[in-house]
Amino acid sequence: MAVIFVDNVEIDAEEGRTLLEVCLEKGIAIPNLCFIKHNDSPSASCRLCFVEIEGIEEPVTSCTVKVKDGMVVTTDSAEVRELQKTAFRLILSTHRIDCGNCPSRKRCELIKISRILKVKLSPEIYDPIERKVKAEEHPHLIYDISKCINCGKCVYICKKLHGRSYITFARRGIETGISFFGEKDAESIPCGKCRACADICPVSALLFYEHYSDLLKKQ
Amino acid sequence: MDDNLELIEKEMLDDISSFLEHVEPERSSLIPVLQKIQAKYSYLSSDAIKLIGKRLDLTSSEVYGVATFYNQFRFNPPGKHRIKVCMGTACHVKGGDIILENFERKLNIKTGETTRDREFSIDKVACIGCCALAPAVVVDEKIHGYVAPSKVEGIMLGFEIEKEMNERKERSSTENSDGEIIERQ
Amino acid sequence: MSGNNEDIKNAFSEIKKNAEKNFNESRNSDIPAIYIGMATCGRAAGAEEAERAILETLDERNVKADVIHVGCIGHCYAEPVVIVDNPGFPPIFYYNVTAGKSKLIVKAFLERGDPLYEHLLGAMEENELIPSVMGFPRFGMEKRIVMEKCGHIDPEDINEYIKKGGYASLAFALSKTQADIIDEIRISGLRGRGGAGFPAWKKMEAVYGSDSKEKYIICNADEGDPGAYMDRTIIESNPHQLLEGMMVAAFAAGASKGIIYVRHEYPLAVKIIKKAIDDSNRMKLLGENILNSGFSFHIDIFEGSGAFVCGEETALIESVEGKRGMPRTRPPYPVERGLKNKPTVINNVKTLSTIPAIVNKGGKWFSGIGTKSSPGTAIFSIVGNVVHAGLVEIPMGVTIRTLIYDICGGIPGGKAFKALQIGGPSGGCLPESALDTPIDFDSLTEAGAMMGSGGMVVMDEDSCMVDVAKYFLEFTKNESCGKCTFCRIGTGHLLTILERITNGEGREGDVELLERLAGDIKRGSLCGLGKTAPNPVLTTIRYFRHEYEAHIHSKRCPSLKCRPLTAFYIDLGKCARGCDACVGSCPVDCIFTTKGRKKGIDQEVCVKCGECVTACPEEYNAVIKVSPPHLVPHIEKLEESK
Repeated sequence: MAVIFVDNVEIDAEEGRTLLEVCLEKGIAIPNLCFIKHNDSPSASCRLCFVEIEGIEEPVTSCTVKVKDGMVVTTDSAEVRELQKTAFRLILSTHRIDCGNCPSRKRCELIKISRILKVKLSPEIYDPIERKVKAEEHPHLIYDISKCINCGKCVYICKKLHGRSYITFARRGIETGISFFGEKDAESIPCGKCRACADICPVSALLFYEHYSDLLKKQ
Repeated sequence: MDDNLELIEKEMLDDISSFLEHVEPERSSLIPVLQKIQAKYSYLSSDAIKLIGKRLDLTSSEVYGVATFYNQFRFNPPGKHRIKVCMGTACHVKGGDIILENFERKLNIKTGETTRDREFSIDKVACIGCCALAPAVVVDEKIHGYVAPSKVEGIMLGFEIEKEMNERKERSSTENSDGEIIERQ
Repeated sequence: MSGNNEDIKNAFSEIKKNAEKNFNESRNSDIPAIYIGMATCGRAAGAEEAERAILETLDERNVKADVIHVGCIGHCYAEPVVIVDNPGFPPIFYYNVTAGKSKLIVKAFLERGDPLYEHLLGAMEENELIPSVMGFPRFGMEKRIVMEKCGHIDPEDINEYIKKGGYASLAFALSKTQADIIDEIRISGLRGRGGAGFPAWKKMEAVYGSDSKEKYIICNADEGDPGAYMDRTIIESNPHQLLEGMMVAAFAAGASKGIIYVRHEYPLAVKIIKKAIDDSNRMKLLGENILNSGFSFHIDIFEGSGAFVCGEETALIESVEGKRGMPRTRPPYPVERGLKNKPTVINNVKTLSTIPAIVNKGGKWFSGIGTKSSPGTAIFSIVGNVVHAGLVEIPMGVTIRTLIYDICGGIPGGKAFKALQIGGPSGGCLPESALDTPIDFDSLTEAGAMMGSGGMVVMDEDSCMVDVAKYFLEFTKNESCGKCTFCRIGTGHLLTILERITNGEGREGDVELLERLAGDIKRGSLCGLGKTAPNPVLTTIRYFRHEYEAHIHSKRCPSLKCRPLTAFYIDLGKCARGCDACVGSCPVDCIFTTKGRKKGIDQEVCVKCGECVTACPEEYNAVIKVSPPHLVPHIEKLEESK
């Protein structure tokens, strides 16, 4: 057992566990989008879960730090907040904000983060970026890149459940998004019975046709 | 014409299948395999991607996800002649973008596109390491240094002349076979 | 693990004896030898045409000579380069050898003994007849360790390499212990030449000390920095030195398998290194039980598929494993968990190519060259607005001013120096006030740039610093792997802001916004590419803020570079009127003639390519470029002139 101090509160934690995971369990609010519980190799790609640790000069992502006895952590220093706000606004500049029609609005991670950071749900100083990517067909799924935040949870869960990836990241740079290669043959993919990717998507960028048509009906 | 294309496509896939039989079925073979197929056919068709996935025990998505990451791979057949304009620093400083524009204007296509007759395609390429000869352009594997707009004209004129010569040759051979007299211009 | 030292010695001297014999049989010292620089840039400059002309003329005139392909000597401004070793003369360096000059060399020099003083740069050694090139600072002030043999030997001839001392360091190393070799490299102070300057011995020791049975060594030849091409040149000119260095490093680290990761954009380098590996295998310098020492080592080539980020070591490993080349989070570092999760040493081409010299001459010798914290030499590709462009190898610690002005001949055309871009997309632009900065890892980093892979682009007064920053950001935005938020999206926003500034749409506060976002990207990004991506923006703002402000506040590009902010017109006071040179040169036919042969430029159509400036005869120089564009005097385009 290790004792760590987070924002001046003493916490008991198992040494070697991921700092972010421990904090979240204790109800400490640290913004995050790409973190997945029990994943040994975190992608550390959303760049939101920064904290400051005494003895380390720059803020570090708490998803890549293991708990060590005596660690002193600050989750809301000005430095940390600056990086988090910028990362958050950057992500929002590629996310089409359409909460009224969004099935995820009740559990939306982005809204939660905006509350933690006390900022508007808007990219503010950054102009929105439209990612121009040709849509792919899929027998069951619809993917909307304009909502995707590239958290990678769908890719992770697909590989975990099926042993291989039926959805993957494709392309590079700002055009990076999810791809199912336009697989038309419903027999060759397990998606007919599996809903995991759409269930895990925090922003409804992946939807199954039935959800999608429900959505259209509501509108 | 379409039948012909289908035939070519089928031949290509047969060839790729037999090539894949000799490939070690492990993930580290993936990029070398993609490179070999790209080198031979200048692009990766979606059927080719499926075949590769089968051989290496990967989903098509995984193969596609890797292939789209790298600049080298194309997913549509390119033009017969490939014009690659170097976008290195030295080339930029010496006006590489102007050269690119001249090719685009001349061929009436944008970077990454192929002319409708499938003769030419234009691509930007990362530094080809001929910085002392900037701006540089690679046309069908030949490197041209110190390219100016007038040299672009020259390069394209070279192709026009070549094409005309070939057409004349063809014409003269067909006319010859018809037993007609060739008229010299 | 070393075998019997006597055995190793004997095995090597046997190989060397054979190599010497084979080499002597392949060359005839009684007839002239003509060495042609046939690396990629030599070929692009016309070396193949020169060779054809030489061969034809030799044949036509019935003159006997050996024509030998060599690599690149680094004097790119002089390409195509031909060195002629005519018995009775010292070897002579000829520059810019066109087909015509080639014929002349055969007819005048080989047949009549006239060395053609007007076409030669100098003799390659001291003599009484012809001035030596060493008197020329571009040669004399260099210090060649890594590139010593580049351009002097046939890269495809392993026999020549061995005859001239090659593979001796391997034989020597194998007769020592691994700890001895690591210690020698530690003493030398060699720092990784890939950019960050990490001490080379530390990686070897970490891998050597690991319990793992499988260990790897990777040579990073994914030279992606635009403007840098020394790795390509070294491979194309002296591949065996790299292999030798890699073998020594592999021995020291205990690796039995090596991979050379070369860009596919370098087809000639790939071909040459493959042949070198085959030849070494054939000579049993690679493979099982090398020189009866008990050490076995194999090298494979992996061709990179075009992704700048794969120059980052963990992304490179992902790519070799057949994945998308996205960086991993470090730690663990590759020395702990690298390729296939096994301990892996990753070194740059230059680092590995330096090792044979260190082993041969001792770490102490090496540490005496250069500066205390950065020993040895640095290789730069210095291009752009500089007279003697090419590759230079100089001791660390030489100042930027000496490099540009004394060694490379300064700025051409009487223009003023503006900035030196160093370190590619991860580096920065240094202004004139930084010219006296010594070139070493730490001083450059302090000045806001970095050594990087050693690409240097000299920029004269006509280069716009905002445009340069924009160029690099476009590069990093396109090459961002797309994994982390800051690099994937942030670089795009930096570029958008720079684009609006260069388009004349800059907003108040844009410079501050750039600084803030750039700072966040620097601190927030996942890997080295992202962390260094804002450097071009930050250094240009640091040193050339006034240029940003001119673009934003007065919509003016002070260097007349940004096309939306400039325009051309024809100064009728200077124009000869009778001449139509500009009209003919325009690729979009936008120059018109009105009454009295007045010339005007249709500003709506003009693409601002500058061909008319080049075309206008020097005695008139009537085409004027201005910024902002509204300074152009109006010339009515009359109906009849259409």
